[in-house]
Amino acid sequence: MTRRDAAAVAKPALNSEWIVRKTLFVFAMTTVLGIILVIFFVARESIPALRQVGWSNIFLSATWNPNVSNPATGHYGLLVPLAGTLAATLGGIIIGGPLAIGTAIFLTQIAPPRTGKLVVRGIELLAGIPSVIFGWIGLVVLVPMLARVTNTQGYGILAASFILGIMIIPTVTTIAKDALETVPEEYKQASFGMGATRWQTIYKVILPSAKEGLLVALILGIGRAIGETMAVQLVIGNARQFPNSLTSVTSTLTSRIVTDMGESTGAFRSALFVQGLVLLIMAMVIILLIRLVTRKTVKAA
Amino acid sequence: MRSGKRWILGGALLLAALLTVVGLAGCGNSSTTSDQNLTGKVSLSGSTTVLPPASEAASQFMDIHPGVQVSVQGGGSSVGITQLSQGLVDIGMSSRELKSEEQNQGFLDHKIALDVIVVVANPGMTVDDLTKDQVKGIFTGQLTNWKDVGGADAPITVVVRDKASGTREMFDEKALDSQDSTTAAIEANSNGIVRQTVASTRNAIGYISLGYLDGTVKALKYNSVEGSKDTALAKTYPLSRFLHMFTKGEPQGVVGVFIDFVLSERFQNDVVAREYIPATEL
Repeated sequence: MTRRDAAAVAKPALNSEWIVRKTLFVFAMTTVLGIILVIFFVARESIPALRQVGWSNIFLSATWNPNVSNPATGHYGLLVPLAGTLAATLGGIIIGGPLAIGTAIFLTQIAPPRTGKLVVRGIELLAGIPSVIFGWIGLVVLVPMLARVTNTQGYGILAASFILGIMIIPTVTTIAKDALETVPEEYKQASFGMGATRWQTIYKVILPSAKEGLLVALILGIGRAIGETMAVQLVIGNARQFPNSLTSVTSTLTSRIVTDMGESTGAFRSALFVQGLVLLIMAMVIILLIRLVTRKTVKAA
Repeated sequence: MRSGKRWILGGALLLAALLTVVGLAGCGNSSTTSDQNLTGKVSLSGSTTVLPPASEAASQFMDIHPGVQVSVQGGGSSVGITQLSQGLVDIGMSSRELKSEEQNQGFLDHKIALDVIVVVANPGMTVDDLTKDQVKGIFTGQLTNWKDVGGADAPITVVVRDKASGTREMFDEKALDSQDSTTAAIEANSNGIVRQTVASTRNAIGYISLGYLDGTVKALKYNSVEGSKDTALAKTYPLSRFLHMFTKGEPQGVVGVFIDFVLSERFQNDVVAREYIPATEL
């Protein structure tokens, strides 16, 4: 009786709800399928290079010298762009990390509501700017400026780090802000109650208890920086040498791919897919790192 | 519940609208002066330099003549010429002249473009003429200061094209005697970006196709010869080459129509002139 009543009530809702639920399920599955297809495709396209020129030619070599007319005899070492990616990402985090986390602290602990709102709008705007715009500004404003200040060509790791530092701010600030907001108000009150100043409270109470969340914010920022392509490609110089100083030109995995992909064929093209695969693996490692960090938090809680 | 239904209806309408737009766009594409009467196949292979304009020609040609199948493959000039002589392809694409052993096979040469490369420097540089050895020294990394070539005491910033580009291929072959350029060189993947980089970077030197030369960069003489259409045609300027499509004898049927299309005013001006001196101006 009651069950039938429930069914009678539920039935009219069932149709539309069923459709919505199934539609959303299909959408979700499409995303998963997309990711699987991307991994499968990139891996498959990487195989010819690994077969034709060998693992050591790619993973243990710093020589990038493709042979266009006979791709299988070229040199496709990825150590230079790998080093470039790591250096530019590290530089981006060093410049952007403190800025972004500082902004998040300001927003959650210090800013009066109206100022805070203004800053949040600004950061939202920053997140919406296409990366090629950052690259273009980097190319016509930042690079000439760095060239004057450092008395070099201006291209290189430093220019890329500045651009990446600014580009990761929205990601890191947003996540860090969420992490800081979850710190219970009682902690703060207790700290103030014991006579701590605002700075002491931030430094000794708020930051330590939001530590994991802040770490996740930084890791996501690293992920954002590693994959950035256009903005970096325009300012890094795409040279085939290791970065030996902050202002020396070099290349990153993404800039190498986008510079050479146009008319490459055979093992040359496939070697670029290997670099893409390396980027994918780096992205997966980052996700794994985040899971490790957050799992610890859950356990601690 | 009613709002749920409305939501679905709205979604369906949106989807329908989207499909209509896509469908109409598709129709619009295929209805551009298409000519159904011509049928057949055209196959090309050869130079990776000729490949981009040839691929563009193939796709435009197949839009106009849906009954024709044009296939374009790379492999290099030698591959194209060999496959043409073996009868494997209708057209051999080449970015070099025929070697002596390749002649006497009745190949007909269709010059589709003239490629001229000019060495350019930042406008602030005082040097305006470089010898072949100086150019080679600079781009291979042996000469690293402008004072080595008669300029001021300043480090040289070298800008080159990406490895897959035909411009780099020709420059490496003719100016650097097939040596590799320095690994410290900035790499850019288009003529436009090379020009922009050279124009905005102090002490920079690079090379671009003649068609991209403008006032933002300074064209340097090569062995005291100015790079131009005339000096290239007179063979006094060495950094130039013709891009060829070879056929075995007079092209027949649909192959002839395709060659005519490539040499047509419209295709030459729209596509070839973007990078090269079009055949219509030779």
